[in-house]
Amino acid sequence: MLNYFRDIGLGIVTVLKSMGVAWRHLFTPSVTLQYPTQKWTMPERSRSKLFNKIEDCIGCGQCARVCPTNCITIQTEKRGKEEPEIFASDGTAIKLRTYVYDIDMTLCCYCALCTFGCPTHCLFMTGEYEYAVYDKVCHIYPFATEKQMISKTPKQQPAEKA
Amino acid sequence: MEVDYSGDVMTLNMGPQHPSTHGVLRLELKTDGEIVADAIPHIGYLHRCFEKLAENIDYPGIIPFTDRMDYCAAMNMELGYVLAVEKLMGIQINNRVRCIRIIMAELNRIASHLIAAGTYGNDIGSFTPFLWCFRDRETILDLFEETCGARLLYNYNWIGGLMYDVKPGFEKKVIDFIDYFEPQVGNLNKLLSDNYIFVKRTAAVGILSPEVAINYGVTGPNLRGSGVKFDVRKDEPYLGYEEFDFDVPVGKGDYGPVGSCWDRYIVRIREVKESCKIIRQAVAKLTPGDVHESIPKRVKPPVGEVYMRTEAPRGELGYYIVSEGGVKPHRLKVKSPCFTVMSAFREVSRGSMIADVIAILGSFDIVLGEIDR
Repeated sequence: MLNYFRDIGLGIVTVLKSMGVAWRHLFTPSVTLQYPTQKWTMPERSRSKLFNKIEDCIGCGQCARVCPTNCITIQTEKRGKEEPEIFASDGTAIKLRTYVYDIDMTLCCYCALCTFGCPTHCLFMTGEYEYAVYDKVCHIYPFATEKQMISKTPKQQPAEKA
Repeated sequence: MEVDYSGDVMTLNMGPQHPSTHGVLRLELKTDGEIVADAIPHIGYLHRCFEKLAENIDYPGIIPFTDRMDYCAAMNMELGYVLAVEKLMGIQINNRVRCIRIIMAELNRIASHLIAAGTYGNDIGSFTPFLWCFRDRETILDLFEETCGARLLYNYNWIGGLMYDVKPGFEKKVIDFIDYFEPQVGNLNKLLSDNYIFVKRTAAVGILSPEVAINYGVTGPNLRGSGVKFDVRKDEPYLGYEEFDFDVPVGKGDYGPVGSCWDRYIVRIREVKESCKIIRQAVAKLTPGDVHESIPKRVKPPVGEVYMRTEAPRGELGYYIVSEGGVKPHRLKVKSPCFTVMSAFREVSRGSMIADVIAILGSFDIVLGEIDR
């Protein structure tokens, strides 16, 4: 019987104590951010959507090789000898024409391993995080420019063996 | 525990979609009225073939997948893997890498224990501590985001080094956070731990005796809650943890028998304070250096096998790697702490009330991503 009332008493006392802590909290500034209207600034190392600056891409395929989820599809061919020499912005000669460079962001695991392997630092992760779409096909981002795709010389199909 | 029950036994499925199972876990409860005669956990709903997948990816590429095992403490998950590969390859890391790794691991331990305490309060029926814990955890996640760019799945510990060096001013931010956070633990105690209703709800519930815990191979805070002083950081130090001064808190049975849900809960709260101590010492030991210094150009360990165990927030995490000299491991086996706890859960919950099953499950602090892998 005594224990019963002791329990009730202790319950009330400790709840009042915790209520004291909670009430004191009323006078502290709010930590909540009203998201769609207010936005936080992303840190510069922020890892979100991948972006490839295709003019600097030399088509080496390091990124596709290191990717653990194989989300980068890259297809290249040798540039013709008659074509003018072009260089990436850091001076590396671009010897391959990248006619397919697709990144499937639905597969991407945001590990950023591809960005560290890139020799010309043309592939990097931006801080953009709002890119939801209705169809997941829209998450395959092609980076190869139209010019690169059009000027692609048709490949000769290997003759089928009879 | 022998249960003397009579009458009809009803089968009750709890989960896989249940707010208190912390993921996708199905518990098959055999109930006799209000008493649980047996609780059979059915796992595997979150199985992602991690171990098989790892055999087909090169060593650095596995690190993002280790993050996804225990997503509440990803730093500790990748730390164990990275240390295992380094042990296999014989890589020595410099002091800066070591100290940053310790700071990150302990910060993530705090974040993980905050989730454990917060969600446990939420399971029992107290919502305020949940929000308070998440507010403080947010500061830690901001520190991680600033350092490596990701908030939960970091890929920060690399084989032989780190992804980035910390930013200038990081040490001050960490110390500021610890200064702010240590009094908050006292507030959390007032709010939840010493709340008599909470104590009554958890103190005499779900007793895991030390013998049963050791027999089942339970590790981490769940074992220490039963009064067994075992911590891999103390008993088999890695990363130079032996240089740090910290205690290993154990459950003393302040309210009721040792090894109750409350003991397991309070061990986590006390561990958070110890982590704060370690972080302070690690920040003081931080020396300038290059974090990319010992990263190998090509990760190709020699033929051999290695087992490395580390203390993750949920217990002893072990990685067993068999290498055949290639760029991919021949076999990778993970000894996960939550998996062993899950087998002890059946023993503990037998004979308890249905409502107590939630309290017991919450006190074990399981993460299904790590159980199913």
